[in-house]
Amino acid sequence: MAEPRLIGSYLAVLAAELPAPIVEELADGLTETHRSYLRQGLAPDAAAESAVAEFGEPQAIVAEFARVNPARHAARRLLVIGPVVGACWTVALVTSRAGSWPVPLPARILTGVALITIIGLLAAAALSTRYRLAARAGVAGCIGIATLDAVLITGAAFTDASMTWVMVAAMMASTARIAFAAWSLVPALSR
Amino acid sequence: MRAEELKGHLDAMLLAALEGGPRHGYAVIEGLRQSTGGRLDLPTGTIYPALRRLEQAGLITGSWSVVGGRRRREYRLTAAGTRALSGRRAAWLDFSATVSAALEGRPWPSPA
Repeated sequence: MAEPRLIGSYLAVLAAELPAPIVEELADGLTETHRSYLRQGLAPDAAAESAVAEFGEPQAIVAEFARVNPARHAARRLLVIGPVVGACWTVALVTSRAGSWPVPLPARILTGVALITIIGLLAAAALSTRYRLAARAGVAGCIGIATLDAVLITGAAFTDASMTWVMVAAMMASTARIAFAAWSLVPALSR
Repeated sequence: MRAEELKGHLDAMLLAALEGGPRHGYAVIEGLRQSTGGRLDLPTGTIYPALRRLEQAGLITGSWSVVGGRRRREYRLTAAGTRALSGRRAAWLDFSATVSAALEGRPWPSPA
């Protein structure tokens, strides 16, 4: 049985925003809904109209899927724990007098810009109602924050000769965040 | 009954719809319709993200099969889902009995 044009265009809207497995599941449900209306005696086009109306606005479905996106959840958790890790590093860098470390100005600026960019990506993933945008921003944010943590740990290990317990705590906090970001990426990448 | 009125209860209703055995998304919707006498007025497309949310929470598990040339995702309750359903059902029965008693002005607990 040929798929009515209305159902095809409805699924095309969903396919533009959602991963293929999700669209396949929705297509199965929409086809069953259409068949149900056909069994009730409606003409194919009328049955398609009723099925699409029953399914609801595609944007609402996309927004609901965006809310359950694993990348969105990961971004929200990283934004919550971010200030804690940031506070650890602030205390560690201040007490270690990091201002006097031989780190070139461009590297300091680049680190700051990277941090702001990562926060922006995570915020976009946490707030967006668009599934693909949330997924891509979330994955990029997870990779970005893990990379930044790795750079901070490596930089401090090679630069900080005193290595206070506060610095060790900050490095451990970053290590835990790297592990969390990696763990979060698994479900985010499998969707 | 509209979607807004179901907020907070939809998850338990979906779990209950899966209590009888594995079902795919459309069958879950049909099950809910039948068990409520067709009184639910939900945009049925939003059931699917709710099923994904329950799956992520470990309350249901999904698996793919091929039916009539189409891929179909079927869901079943996990042990955690069965426990969650029991808990939510008990909480709801207690809640609804309490509110009913208050609205109808009868003493609580009501005599059997």
